[in-house]
Amino acid sequence: MKKRFHLPRRSSRDIERDVESELAFHIDSRIAELTRTGMTADEARATALREFGDVGNAREYINAMDRRTEATVRRRDYLGDLKQDLVYAFRTLRVARAFSLTVIITLALGVGANAAIFSVVNGVLLQPLPFENDEQLYRVWSANRTSGNLQATVSVLDVDDWRAQRREITDIGGYFHSPGGTGMDLTGARDPQRLSVTYFTPGFFSTLAIRPQLGRTPREEEMVRGGPDRVVVLSHRFWQREFGESAGIIDSTLTLNGDPYRVIGVLGADIRFPSEGVDVYVPYSTIPDQSIPRIRPVRILGVVARAAPGMTRERVETELDAIAKNLSVAYPAENGLWDGVTVQGLRESITGSVSRSLWILLGAVGFVLLIACVNIASLQIARGSMRRSELAVRMALGAGRGRIIRQLVTENLVLAAIGGVLGLFVAKLGLVALLTLSAGQLPRGTEIHIDALVIAFSLAVAMVCGLAFGVTPALLSTRNIQQTLRAAGRGAAGSAAGLRSALVVAEVALAVVLVVGGGLMARSFLSLLQQDPGFRPGQTLAMNLSLSPQRHANFRDVYTRMLDAARAVPGVVSAGAIRHAPFRGNGEINGFMLDGLVVPSGQNAPSAAMITVSDGVFRTLGAPMVQGREFEPSDKAGTTPVAVVNEAFVRLWFPDRAAVGQALIMGATRFQIVGVVNDIRQVAMSQPATPTIYLSNVQTGRVQATFVVRTQGEPMLLAESLRRAIWSVDRLQPITSVFTLEEAMGDALARPRLITVVLGFFGVLGMLLGAIGLYGVLAFLISQRRREIGVRLALGATPARVLGMILSKGLALAGTGVVVGVTGAILLGGYLRDVLYGVAPTDVRTFAVVSVMLLVVSAVASIIPARRAASVDPAITLRGE
Amino acid sequence: MAEALGLVQGTLDVLVLRALVWGPMHGYAVTRWVRERTSGAIEIEDAPLYKALHRLENAGHVTAEWGTSDNNRRARFYRLTAAGRRQLRAEEREWRRYAAAVFAVLDAR
Repeated sequence: MKKRFHLPRRSSRDIERDVESELAFHIDSRIAELTRTGMTADEARATALREFGDVGNAREYINAMDRRTEATVRRRDYLGDLKQDLVYAFRTLRVARAFSLTVIITLALGVGANAAIFSVVNGVLLQPLPFENDEQLYRVWSANRTSGNLQATVSVLDVDDWRAQRREITDIGGYFHSPGGTGMDLTGARDPQRLSVTYFTPGFFSTLAIRPQLGRTPREEEMVRGGPDRVVVLSHRFWQREFGESAGIIDSTLTLNGDPYRVIGVLGADIRFPSEGVDVYVPYSTIPDQSIPRIRPVRILGVVARAAPGMTRERVETELDAIAKNLSVAYPAENGLWDGVTVQGLRESITGSVSRSLWILLGAVGFVLLIACVNIASLQIARGSMRRSELAVRMALGAGRGRIIRQLVTENLVLAAIGGVLGLFVAKLGLVALLTLSAGQLPRGTEIHIDALVIAFSLAVAMVCGLAFGVTPALLSTRNIQQTLRAAGRGAAGSAAGLRSALVVAEVALAVVLVVGGGLMARSFLSLLQQDPGFRPGQTLAMNLSLSPQRHANFRDVYTRMLDAARAVPGVVSAGAIRHAPFRGNGEINGFMLDGLVVPSGQNAPSAAMITVSDGVFRTLGAPMVQGREFEPSDKAGTTPVAVVNEAFVRLWFPDRAAVGQALIMGATRFQIVGVVNDIRQVAMSQPATPTIYLSNVQTGRVQATFVVRTQGEPMLLAESLRRAIWSVDRLQPITSVFTLEEAMGDALARPRLITVVLGFFGVLGMLLGAIGLYGVLAFLISQRRREIGVRLALGATPARVLGMILSKGLALAGTGVVVGVTGAILLGGYLRDVLYGVAPTDVRTFAVVSVMLLVVSAVASIIPARRAASVDPAITLRGE
Repeated sequence: MAEALGLVQGTLDVLVLRALVWGPMHGYAVTRWVRERTSGAIEIEDAPLYKALHRLENAGHVTAEWGTSDNNRRARFYRLTAAGRRQLRAEEREWRRYAAAVFAVLDAR
């Protein structure tokens, strides 16, 4: 047995006094001895001092040495105590194995779920963008307040004017990119392939302050018409994939759309703007006018601006608003109504669409953690009441309250540390599941990692939960501990039970809120699934391909031949082409006029989405014609220009007359409306179709398209024959992506599914933890009331009565919890409103089902301890006391 | 110079440890014991012995406690610790080896 008590601590002054007294004792003793041999007192003193040597030096040396010794001793005592505490903590925790395991697992689940969600929030919302001073960066849109279109992409001429007229704003630049849309054909040495392109205007790279990893970014003169603008900057991904990170790529030439472009730079791996999949960056000035006319009404650019240091968003908006106003005056015909801008932080603009969902998930996972913490508190109270005698004995044996508290803190720290570390593993697993589930649905998804911040967050959460919810209840149980010995172990268990009951109510309430959230999301998801997308997605295959007018003078003909080749493939029922497949884009916004429509002076013509399609496309998609006919092969370049509109368009513009037969004027062309098609959802399941005009792509000459094919059997089986059919027309035709429309629809549902699954999971987790808590409290209550139950049984109560008593106790607690929880869920429901579809946040059916479900689960959790209570043998129990 | 000092210090430490082998002693008794054993051979002042005692205390080779001396005065008593005993045995072995080596040289013919 090691000696484990502390010598009294000595201050510096104590040490000095001790040294003096030791030295004095020595000299005095020597003098006494010398005087005994006959010396005079003075002689003796002189001799003693001479024999001693340098007193001053010795005094100084000894003092310093003792101070060092004192410090060492203190440190050793502290570490010794700590070691003792740790050893003791491990020992007691090992003895209370069930308790420790429950706390650790509860904590690991709570912390793990939180760390997983936090790492997503951290990667997506909190981490800065990979641009210098990203807080100075803003996204800018043209705004048309008259039509309520406040976030429109911008015309290239406007961007250039904004840049030229800016005063305080550091820089402005535009870019044109749509994933799967903007592309160029890379030909030359290898197989032809379609590259995903971002076209940029002057100011794009300088605004974002992008420094290339290799080479340079374009000079001003390389980004303007007439300049040496055939230059290309490669994304890191593309450089890696195609050129194996060879540095020799700089100054080499790539053949894009048949023209030579000089490679001038390679970007860093962290630059994934404006989207993950960009291959190359090419000056916007290289886009020929016959592809995209360089006129103000063509508004297709995203715009980024860098504010001067310290410049607020409002001042950026004010400055650009003024410029937009001037332009609207200078160009009334084109810009008359586009007299303002909308400015938003760049980070917010990237993550805005998911941030609400992520905060909801973080909130929900916080509730899970709270339930876990309440469970821990409840367990600690139970344990505290059982440990009272142990603690009382230790206090009686001389352990101070401080020492006991230290012991409890150490125990909880050990639990929290183990729980926290396990939680990180849970987080890692959870994150993998989460990212699999969210495949491509999270902006900045590749920036999600368990980094140092996440680790610190998890351990901090574990420590705070473990300590706050572990030590506080344990402390409460050390109060009035002295009475415990006198009361022979049956201390103030009553108040502990009361506290635990309150905790169970809280737990059930939290679980109700979680499950209601999950239930509402599930209902919302179901109603999304029941939405009619407006077409039949089964047995259809889509292929992205783009013809290059530069390569084919007779591109209309080539296009028709490709479509015909696809139709001739055995197993194909029908085939057509559409600019954007459903769920893959909403077309472009175009102005139009109707006969007899009077536009008030100073206002622009109305506008609607415009999508170019081929003949037979609606039959292929399975979208029924409501009126008239769809495009036929007879609608050709020379014949009457025709148009099809959707029902949403008819509802808005022809509420009281037949649309078929009316004329649509776009630019200088009169299109005759020949049919009305059922609304097709182009963006998301939760977004109804907007008014849309369909035009023939052979008539407009806009042949960029996605081929859609309806098949007899499994669509993917035909992919290869279809590719070969297209290549039989042009061996060099790049085909970018092949997918089924069912996949497209699945992608469109992925985000709501993600939230639904995760919230549902949290709901189940919360409910389980709540049930465990309820079970624990009842089991504890019964163990405390064994004697009372025994007396009741002895006095004639039937076991059924006892069972009923415990069961009703459990249900009363759960019922209170449900009431509190329902109230809370109603109050918090508003936060869900934005992500819910087709179901109110106060949906009565969801609330009713959840309440009943929680009560049933509570009843099940109560029955096990209740039955144990009913089977108490009064004889044994009463004797046992 | 540093070596010579180290040797002297080391020597003093061994002597002090050896003095405490039979039981706790106060500083004055330790100095008496050392003086009696070395008188004539080596001249040792008391101050270095006290320094040695406190140095050994710091090293954990001895512990000190206040007690009462024969003449009923408050005195600081030193006691060998287990580590001190081990240290003494090690030093003693080293000394004997060292001395034997020196003698072997001196006795050589």
